[in-house]
Amino acid sequence: MLLLLGAWQLSVPLVGMSSYFYPAPADVFAAFVDLVRKGILPVYLADSVLRYLTGMVAGATLGIAAGVLIGVHRTAALALSPLLKFLFAIVEVAWIPIFVVWFGYGIETIVLALIYVVFFPVLYNTLLGVRTAPQILVNAVRSLGASRADVLRLVILPSALPGIITGLRLGAGFAFRGLVFAEMVAAKTGIGYLIFEGAQSQQTARTIVGMIVMGLLWLAIDQFYLRPIERATIQTWGLTVDAAERT
Amino acid sequence: MTSHPGAIGPPGIAKTRGGGERRFDAAALGATPFLVILAAWWLLPHLVQYPPYMLPSIGTVLDYARESIRDGSLARDVLASIGRLALGFAIGMALAIPLGLAIALNRYVAETFRPVLSFLQAIAGIAWVPLTIIWFGIGNGSVIFVIANTIFFASLYNTVTGVQSIPTSLYRAVRSHGGRGWALLTNLILPGALVQLLVGMRTSMAYGWRALVASEMIAGSNGLGFMTMEAVQWQRTDVIILGMIVIGLIWMVMDRTIFTAIERRTVGRWGLLQR
Repeated sequence: MLLLLGAWQLSVPLVGMSSYFYPAPADVFAAFVDLVRKGILPVYLADSVLRYLTGMVAGATLGIAAGVLIGVHRTAALALSPLLKFLFAIVEVAWIPIFVVWFGYGIETIVLALIYVVFFPVLYNTLLGVRTAPQILVNAVRSLGASRADVLRLVILPSALPGIITGLRLGAGFAFRGLVFAEMVAAKTGIGYLIFEGAQSQQTARTIVGMIVMGLLWLAIDQFYLRPIERATIQTWGLTVDAAERT
Repeated sequence: MTSHPGAIGPPGIAKTRGGGERRFDAAALGATPFLVILAAWWLLPHLVQYPPYMLPSIGTVLDYARESIRDGSLARDVLASIGRLALGFAIGMALAIPLGLAIALNRYVAETFRPVLSFLQAIAGIAWVPLTIIWFGIGNGSVIFVIANTIFFASLYNTVTGVQSIPTSLYRAVRSHGGRGWALLTNLILPGALVQLLVGMRTSMAYGWRALVASEMIAGSNGLGFMTMEAVQWQRTDVIILGMIVIGLIWMVMDRTIFTAIERRTVGRWGLLQR
């Protein structure tokens, strides 16, 4: 890492190009300090995080609900599957232009795109999870006099949980990319906007600050959100083959 | 980062036991929501007042579809997009597989590259677009860079976990029969990693497809993404909606022909996928 930074700094005079085309690490650091001092970066970061969380929570809630419904209700599955398949194929990115026409540039467009992108992986993995609920347990609980709601709570949801978690992890990754892109084309604040606007206004160093902050943000999400739930759930149930087991 | 790919696409509906009649029921049920949406789309302008650019009529979209098919502009955009995807995919895979093997097999390579790669991976492909516009200008160079970048990171990870998922006992078996070097690579490591790689390819393509459309919207000079985003400026929602439908159809066709076929021939046969 340090080597790469050093090579980057040293290569600048060798390449001999303007800082617009190829900024040095020192320029990037200066841009970072400037953005923090002017209060731009904290505001943008807060906006991005807020949009991300809103989209994730709403999309995951809808995805889990739809997944359970389709998983337990046959008619719903037959009726909705083709439509969902088609909507899934129209990636969220393709919805952004029409969202922009309908809702303008701003948080509605971005959050809708995020809900859309989180919904499908959560839905499909919830569905897989619900399908793995052993019929024998359903029968057992039913024969002991459980209602349909009890079956849902006691058997189906616990069986679906690993699937839901997998869906949340996948959704988190897709949503993060979706967030950055949506902010580039449909926002006036946020990390994606910072990256885009920096290049547009020929402040390339700002673009790179934005990219680095974005990378760090993802690493933070991975570290403090994805890994803990993975540890707490999947690994306990032995769903992942830990690479360390091999050696 | 993620330990196993999970489902990124729809799993099949549980099999119906009945014969033709039930299949017909299923088709009718499945068609219902589409018909409802079409009917609502058709009725809406009669019920509510809104400027026509917000939602064009079905007829307008069909007219535009006919026109763009006739003058060949739709075909040009589709071919441009698919060509870029193919090239970006080829470049990304050509870089990811050798490096992935090296990382999985050699601890020094792994230790050296891991921090840099995991950081670069966190910078999602699309975030490079503004920089690539400066470097390569608007057009093919920028878009292909972003796709190759996206595919590279998704496949790199799958190559590494693919190699790591090969059971140690198989290594010992091959080694104890004197297999090493090239023989170890071609007889154990490549086939062993292949399944994971193929399964992961679907995720890579899902990311790559989004990256394609997204980067064309910002940095393209033609292609489906460019077509739909450009239409926003002229408020041509008919163009946008046609673009969305085409994007959806192409992905469905690609997913069904390429990936389902690959899955059936590899994963299904080797019993990795439980149905």
